[in-house]
Amino acid sequence: MQALKDLARTLLEKGEVAVILGWEEGPHGARPAFITSPEDTGRLIFDARCVQNLATYLNPRRTNIKALGKPALCVKGCDARAIAGLLRESQIKREDVVLIGVRCSGVGIEATGPAQVDAETLAPRCVGCDATEPPLADHKVGEARPLPQGKGWDARIAELEAMTAAQRWAFWQAEFEKCTRCNACRQVCPMCFCEQCVQDKTRPQWIESSPHPRGNTAWHFTRALHQAGRCSVCGECERACPAGIPLMLLNRKVAQTMERRFGYRPTADPAVPCPVGAFRQDDTQEFIR
Amino acid sequence: MQEKSKSDGAFEPKLTAFVCNWCTYTGADLAGTSRLQMATNVRIIRLPCTGRIDPLFILKAFERGADGVIVSGCHPADCHYTSGNYHARRRFAVFNDLMEFVGIDPGRLTFSWVSASEGAKWRDVVNEATSKVKALGPFTTYPNAGLALGEVAHASA
Amino acid sequence: MARIGVFVCHCGENIGRTVDCTKVAEALKNHPGVVESVDYKYMCSDPGQALIKQSIAEKNLTGVVVAACSPHMHEKTFRRAAFGGGLNPFLCEMANVREHCSWIHEDKEKATEKAIAIGRTIVEKVKRNVPLETIRIPVTKRALVIGGGIAGIQAALDLADGGAEVILVEKEPSIGGHMSQLSETFPTLDCSQCILTPRMVEVYQHPNIKLYSYSELESLEGYIGNFKATIRKKARSVNEELCNGCGACTQVCIQKKIPSEFDAGLGKRTAIYVPFPQAVPNIPVIDRKNCARFKAKAKGILKEACGKCAEACLKGAVDFDQEDRFVTEEVGAVVVATGYQLYTIGKDQPEGLQGYGEYGYGTIPDVIDGLQFERLASASGPTGGQILRPSDGKPPKTIVFLQCIGSRDPQKGIEYCSKICCMYVAKHTMLYKHKVHGGKAVVFYMDIRAAGKGYEEFSRRAIEEDGAIYIRGRVSRMYRDGQTIKVQGFDTLAGEPVEIDADMVVLATAMRPQPGIETLAQKLSVSYDRHGFINEAHPKLRPVETNTAGIFVAGACQSPRDIPDAVAMASATAAKVLGLFSKDQLEREPTVAKVNQDLCAGCFSCEHVCPYGAVEHKEIRDRKGVLLKIVAEVNGGVCQGCGTCQATCPSKSVELQGFTDEQIYSEINALAGCVE
Repeated sequence: MQALKDLARTLLEKGEVAVILGWEEGPHGARPAFITSPEDTGRLIFDARCVQNLATYLNPRRTNIKALGKPALCVKGCDARAIAGLLRESQIKREDVVLIGVRCSGVGIEATGPAQVDAETLAPRCVGCDATEPPLADHKVGEARPLPQGKGWDARIAELEAMTAAQRWAFWQAEFEKCTRCNACRQVCPMCFCEQCVQDKTRPQWIESSPHPRGNTAWHFTRALHQAGRCSVCGECERACPAGIPLMLLNRKVAQTMERRFGYRPTADPAVPCPVGAFRQDDTQEFIR
Repeated sequence: MQEKSKSDGAFEPKLTAFVCNWCTYTGADLAGTSRLQMATNVRIIRLPCTGRIDPLFILKAFERGADGVIVSGCHPADCHYTSGNYHARRRFAVFNDLMEFVGIDPGRLTFSWVSASEGAKWRDVVNEATSKVKALGPFTTYPNAGLALGEVAHASA
Repeated sequence: MARIGVFVCHCGENIGRTVDCTKVAEALKNHPGVVESVDYKYMCSDPGQALIKQSIAEKNLTGVVVAACSPHMHEKTFRRAAFGGGLNPFLCEMANVREHCSWIHEDKEKATEKAIAIGRTIVEKVKRNVPLETIRIPVTKRALVIGGGIAGIQAALDLADGGAEVILVEKEPSIGGHMSQLSETFPTLDCSQCILTPRMVEVYQHPNIKLYSYSELESLEGYIGNFKATIRKKARSVNEELCNGCGACTQVCIQKKIPSEFDAGLGKRTAIYVPFPQAVPNIPVIDRKNCARFKAKAKGILKEACGKCAEACLKGAVDFDQEDRFVTEEVGAVVVATGYQLYTIGKDQPEGLQGYGEYGYGTIPDVIDGLQFERLASASGPTGGQILRPSDGKPPKTIVFLQCIGSRDPQKGIEYCSKICCMYVAKHTMLYKHKVHGGKAVVFYMDIRAAGKGYEEFSRRAIEEDGAIYIRGRVSRMYRDGQTIKVQGFDTLAGEPVEIDADMVVLATAMRPQPGIETLAQKLSVSYDRHGFINEAHPKLRPVETNTAGIFVAGACQSPRDIPDAVAMASATAAKVLGLFSKDQLEREPTVAKVNQDLCAGCFSCEHVCPYGAVEHKEIRDRKGVLLKIVAEVNGGVCQGCGTCQATCPSKSVELQGFTDEQIYSEINALAGCVE
């Protein structure tokens, strides 16, 4: 969209930022773009193929990106939740990044297409979106259009919950068996920014690194737990998984628990404290004898 | 893994208990001082506070052959460190829901608040957890250490 | 290479009866890393401890496991023995085979099996223990006491007499607190000011006490033994060095009708005033909100402004340009003694409380509270000690006293009992009857709580000797009826409604902490309950400490209490603080958390969960001084060792010494027989 290209060009020409993190056309659909000169801003695109959550590039451990200089980041409403998460956990300072909010009317599941989505092709992450008007933005571009009705993850979660424990266990063990421990889920996630991931800890080795049911179960369980109250429910982990493991069923289930028990919903408001580290006197404890 | 007692061929479950030093551990001491008899299946690991108890401990306990796990600490508002048990409560609420979702029978996991004066309650927690897990049988479906570390030995030497 | 010594105790018959200790020792002899494994009748005895010391020397032990009773019993004993044998005490652990095994199982075979398993678990843990050194931190031997009421005064005097320097901060212009407003105290009917003012003077004159009156705590930094307090000295508009307390300024002040706070609104004062004649310090303060000059200045009309007090002052002490100023004091401990305020029945209430519409929301004249009655009864009060109605100055022929106003009433938001009201209402009836012989005193009560020394006898005296009429029941409604107040209640013992025409009603309103207590508590990082009362560290065994190391609490700010209890508590805090100051260095158990700053990602989730604020921010810079990252650092002097930080940290970058991941992991492994 022209407004985005113009804004990007202006920001670079004025020297307000040194690099634009956005999306561009790639050989396999939309892909992240790092634009450092005003002439290249013409490459920027935004459509329903722009599934990537660019907040992950703000991880301070990505020192090569940090070295490019002050960024302007294109964020969809859902991506802004991840930005808020990074702010809450002191990984970035608000004044160190310019946020270009793009008005989004839904994306698809893959970066390959289609460029416009309807009820059939809308990604589950978009269902129930309350951020079509992007929050936390310094600038906003794009037209507001209504979001199609789609199918989220909740129906599938309910199906699983209706099964017996043994059936669920069989389902998940079959899924975890496919895991090759490539860690794409961790690498793409903006909130997985630990210097050393717990699964890489060897003294002691809580989570084995070989792709065996033992370590796989512990890994996926632990990652879902570590994301509790932090996950921005952007769905990137599931998209990145080469084995097609339905990771968002786990993350969305944890998000449901956070909402049901603690009234917490993922939000792009950095002033809302992370529920990790919070508690109430009257927190739920029906499971405790 | 089945452990055959000399008297009958019945399965005796192994339970690992992660308890806080100030309340439950002391409550278990009181149970001892009061000579309250209870099932022999539970082995206690002492932590300073339930706040220190990591879900990773529980997963590892199952991996190492525990058939059931008990997590116990101070009642809300009584934590020796003021708020450790509040954080544990939240952490374990999420853990519990996720465990159930992944298909682990909730009967294998017991959470309790046992204060330093509740020796009898500790005895009840131990006995009830043991019989619940006994009824569920050995946790053979959990991917355990059998492959990598050789035969998982019994508690008896 | 691990060289662990295992010592299995029979504890006489206690363990030996149901656990085959010799078999346990035998089994553990072959455990990887164990070089010595023996059993003995009584390990805690001298010869038992000698065994350990001998073994440490002879077998060059790197760790000791005593399989015996609970560590709560003897961990200190055996750690001391290990230390005596030349081994770091934190390389010694106990395996609980008595309380957790021999005493709770009868089946000898199973009990022995379990004892061996427990032994193995602790051996595996000890193999991962590292030597820890006691943490020592310096101590500043000065104490900050916040609040100059009876509790603060007592604490300050005990501390000062004990040799510590004291900084006493009081927000009002004078110390003395509510006790200075009282007429007489129960159960002795001592004149309150007579017993209080000598103490106030002692505080003022004590060489070890520095008094900051009309001052408040602005901020507190640091940790136990090493606090830095910033105190705001509010502007009195009078130079304390020059003023000699002659009072000439108060004589000439043109504003004479300001409701006096000291007289609970029943009397009047001037704009430049000393709150009461025995005030300490006896230095006036200008109430800038009501002073004509300051009001004019606020409107921008300076040339018509009054300056009479400055003209009258022979010492030139009045300083209209004085401003608030800040001072910093370094202290090693803090005592919070901010006292109480009374609940009011008005409509305008803080969140969570409700007023009493059924009693008129405080709009009915002659319906007063306990402190107001004290001022009426006080010889130095607005009526010279005569009980007179505020509305028309006539003596009341009938006074109705209501107990439990606000207190014990979850609907109004206060579920607790305020402890002192039963006693002071009895006192009030007696003072009233002594002054108005024909007067009728009626008390509506729910219970009589008179648990202190002489309290029951005092309560009975009010009824039996002074003729107070006690009705068990509550008042459902009161309203103005001409010159009197119609009080409608119920007598539950007689089972019938009661209606009384009262000339005055005195409400025994609930005790609450002072306004602003929450802000103060947050500045101090101490916890408080939903009413604002400061939380004690343990309700039974640590009533004067808070969970914040180095901060103590005394008096009604912790919960409602009377003067003897406040004084006792204050002296207790002084004892605690003097104990703290008795060493040059504070010793702390080293089982504290430590951050691996290479691994820490600086998310500070640990900081959010730490109950003690022990996590600090540390800048990591490269050799050129460029900031690389900001990581967490645990202050070992503040950390109490709960480990919540470690379970919260996603990458386990913080480890609790003595309960590290490796130690716990090895214990879990041991239970499965996975040992190495």
